[in-house]
Amino acid sequence: MPFTRPATLAARLSRLIPVALLAASAAHAADQIKIVSSLPRTGSSNAQTTTMVNGIRMAIDEVGGKIDGFEILYEDMDDASPQRGNWDPAVEGQNANKAAKDPLVVGYIGTFNSGAAKIAMPILNRAGCVMVSPANTYPGLTKPGFGEKNEPKVYRPSGKVSYFRVVPTDDLQGSVAAEWAKELGATKVFVLHDRELYGKGIADVFEKRAKEIGMQVAAVEGIDPKAANYRSLVTKIKASGANFVYFGGTTQNNAGQIAKDLRSGGVDAPFMVPDGCFEEAFIEAAGAANLNGKTYVTFGGLPADQLTGKGAEFRERYKAKYGTEPEAYAVYGYEAARVLLDAIDRAETKDRAAILAAVAATRDFSGALGTWSFDDNGDTTNRVMSGQAVIDGKFTFQKVLGR
Amino acid sequence: MEFTPAEVFAQQVVNGLSNGMIIALIALGYTMVYGIIELINWAHGDLFMLGAFLALTILGALGLQEASGPMAAVAVVLLLVTSAVFCGSFNVLADRIAYRPLRNAPKVSLLVTAIGVSFIFVNLGLFWGGVPMEVFSGGIAAAAPKDFPALVPSRNLVGTDDGVHFTLRDLLVVAVTIPLMVSLWWLVTRTRLGKAMRATAQNPTAARLMGIDTDRVIASTFFLGGSLAGFASVVYALYNNTISFQMGYRAGMDAFTAAVLGGIGSLPGAVLGGLLIGLTRSMSDQYIETRWTNALVFAILIIILVFRPSGLLGMKQREKV
Amino acid sequence: MRRGGLLLTLLAVALAWPAFEAWLLPGGWSVLDAVKSIFIFAILGLALNAVTGFTGILNLGIAAFMAIGAYAFAILTADLYPFQLGFWPAILLTLPIGALAGFLLGAPTLGLRGDYLAIVTLGFGEIVQDVLKNVDSITLGTQGINPLPAPTVPWWKTAEDGSRSFGLVDLAGETQGAGPYVSYYLFLGFLVAAWLVFRNLELSRVGRAWMSIREDELASRSMGIPPVRTKMLAFATAAAFAALSGGLWASWLSSTGEPANYDFQVSILALCIVIVGGMGSIAGVLVGALVMIGVNSILLVKLAEWLQARGVGASGSVFLSPNNWKYLLFGLALVLMMRYKPDGLVPAAGRGARKPAGAKR
Repeated sequence: MPFTRPATLAARLSRLIPVALLAASAAHAADQIKIVSSLPRTGSSNAQTTTMVNGIRMAIDEVGGKIDGFEILYEDMDDASPQRGNWDPAVEGQNANKAAKDPLVVGYIGTFNSGAAKIAMPILNRAGCVMVSPANTYPGLTKPGFGEKNEPKVYRPSGKVSYFRVVPTDDLQGSVAAEWAKELGATKVFVLHDRELYGKGIADVFEKRAKEIGMQVAAVEGIDPKAANYRSLVTKIKASGANFVYFGGTTQNNAGQIAKDLRSGGVDAPFMVPDGCFEEAFIEAAGAANLNGKTYVTFGGLPADQLTGKGAEFRERYKAKYGTEPEAYAVYGYEAARVLLDAIDRAETKDRAAILAAVAATRDFSGALGTWSFDDNGDTTNRVMSGQAVIDGKFTFQKVLGR
Repeated sequence: MEFTPAEVFAQQVVNGLSNGMIIALIALGYTMVYGIIELINWAHGDLFMLGAFLALTILGALGLQEASGPMAAVAVVLLLVTSAVFCGSFNVLADRIAYRPLRNAPKVSLLVTAIGVSFIFVNLGLFWGGVPMEVFSGGIAAAAPKDFPALVPSRNLVGTDDGVHFTLRDLLVVAVTIPLMVSLWWLVTRTRLGKAMRATAQNPTAARLMGIDTDRVIASTFFLGGSLAGFASVVYALYNNTISFQMGYRAGMDAFTAAVLGGIGSLPGAVLGGLLIGLTRSMSDQYIETRWTNALVFAILIIILVFRPSGLLGMKQREKV
Repeated sequence: MRRGGLLLTLLAVALAWPAFEAWLLPGGWSVLDAVKSIFIFAILGLALNAVTGFTGILNLGIAAFMAIGAYAFAILTADLYPFQLGFWPAILLTLPIGALAGFLLGAPTLGLRGDYLAIVTLGFGEIVQDVLKNVDSITLGTQGINPLPAPTVPWWKTAEDGSRSFGLVDLAGETQGAGPYVSYYLFLGFLVAAWLVFRNLELSRVGRAWMSIREDELASRSMGIPPVRTKMLAFATAAAFAALSGGLWASWLSSTGEPANYDFQVSILALCIVIVGGMGSIAGVLVGALVMIGVNSILLVKLAEWLQARGVGASGSVFLSPNNWKYLLFGLALVLMMRYKPDGLVPAAGRGARKPAGAKR
């Protein structure tokens, strides 16, 4: 196409420009590689993504910031904008394009929102750049037959799988949650969701599975995540006679407030939430007293305190470095970065195609979430789900769920 | 014992009115400022949010998280007063720095300034949540919603626990908002300051010519409007027990809607609008579906405005030539 | 004349930017994508300017029409629906669809005055979002509809056997390597076309009627200008072009994104573009889009990147992470611009664009 860049002239010109920052990117490019993450850092998801970025930084620090003689540069890109206060499709597109064009970039960790992944995936796929998501759970991104009829092939214009995720998808978590709810004695469930891709997806699966295994579903309601409280909804739940409440959604979408209003509104049915709420912030937002003994959380992996080996070490180091227990999100972020670094290490090159092949070939990876592989769709084979209850203001491991 | 349909309805009325009164309280501050300088004060909701953060900070600093009984009552009064003074002063400050230089600028420029101020407030709220205090869980997750201590328990005051609940918190809302509304009404209609406010609202130039220090009157209005947001923030926090740096958006939107629904600039209108929104929300949650509630509120707003173009209690504007 | 000069300069810079960028900036510093979103938001700004700037109706729900355009484009093109039109017919159809939506909202409500109408538009924006979210059997709810066709242009195609022919070429694959420039210039072309339309409207009888309504509705009515019909025209025109910007947006992203991508914040951004640029000033809108999107998607992004590259924020503290300062800086930028340029950066020229000081309504 019309403009190509004569490297020598450009280099000469950029040296003429007295801007230090331009020069910096040109220096030592040969022995540098770059990993970027694209997560919503401005606005409502900030708390979750902060712990993820902590996890990523830790994984990079653990290898001393160097791998195979390459210095690892890391950039924490924001796919939110102040004006949107949440992920911004234009910014996500920009981030993906920028990463695709930057020859130093060998891996893209993201996205947080499955909607954002839909935009970034085809761009990075064309550029052959591997993408590892620490958070997307919408099944259609990888699994044929679970989303729209054109998914997931629309995300793979090159025909190759270049997108991987370390989190199990909604269809797994939603159905084990329903099974666990039944074990806990639920006969009539009231299903809530936050009307977002993640929350609704998981609630839909929960509802379907609940009906299959003989539970009654009192109603499915999409909440308004910005509402001040849910007293009216709680009155409705109370009137419905449901003896179990499930909420597909995140802490940020007011899970804590729902728990509070349930208890203050006189509904003492057990309350179950997915891994979008598996974080201290949920307990803090809800108030431990409102959760104790009656709140259950599912999580796609083993919680940090149940891990042995790599996982246990991770937990200790994380606590030492950041002064808090690592949360679900931190583990996912850490794991995504680890698996990417591991692949780079095996590929021993900064060639994108080789690294992509190495990530795809990840088998029996021993990480903080256990030992797992990537399947042909790019999904984790980690089927170990765990159930937690909130006891004395702490997430307390109950049992391994699912297969 | 069954929860009968009649009880469900009564419970939803209680829910709706309590929520509506909080909205009304915020809307009053909105409508006062609008009435006097025609500013759609977009930052009002976020000012309200800052008031709630201050309240939580004070609780944490004085170690009153666990207070109960008379101690809790004292704490509540303390919070109400400090947040009101803080929000009032902060609003005056915002006016002095951001809005006052634009008195003669186009109205929409003022709106954009208010939007800018709102962004600044939101960011201050984010940072505030990062303050390393126990009540902010050490400030580690700045953006996460914060638990606000339940100083006022949700103890049922009427009937049995199986039936309709009217809790101490509902009583708190009534006990704070009604006296505030009455005294505001008295202040605006019966005092010299109120007269000056009304004069300034009607015609600032003429008011100035009559010897009214309009800048002072406007500053007082900002103070009053802000302090209402401060009161509202404490009531809101005690009623809902959660605060977040983003709660100002919905609060501001509801308050704006309530103010317009009632007739902008009309104090009884703002109250009526707030109650109506609260009731619509709870009825829609119960009898329609939660996911349609927000759309329904706005649909009702549009329909009402089509038939009553100046809001429910707004005065019909005569066109000046 | 100065204004014409400014517009020509902007156009020249826009035309030359890809070349400039390719020659002087290292790969990582490319802002071509952000510039494309400037073009799209400039079209949205021009649309809003017709109703808010020219006619003086505060519209807080322009994003709803952008959403309608995006979803209309998606439903007309995506292979999940029966229509499956190509880029050009679908993008052109967003104009009448948007106008119709504007008409339907405007017809019952345009008799309202001032801020009452403003909140109707705000409410409409919320309703549209909720409908898009809730009617998921059609709109796929929060999933967004994808993939959508990229723009096509007449261009030389190279077939597999190496022969070249002329025909419609899909620009989907060009985000990498070859030439993001074609779609860049295509979006620029749409912007220039919208600009010409609004410039001609401004100088026409219609445009003068709009402005007379803004200046004094009563007087213009007594001069024989029907206020509701005139406002309706402005409202529908704005809705049509907002829908066009939505269609372009969706085509560019190849997805509608989720309904929340067209929420109130987008309406606010469009409003800021118009006001910061200068109400009723076409050149102002273009400068406004440049400044607002520039601050939002280029300046703040690059600043955060630059600080990060210097190790700021690695400690994980909320105060030190550059991304956490974006709201504050964005808000401060708005306040300062209004403080020192209350009529906008490029105020509308003469002709009583500004009301006398202290006047109400």
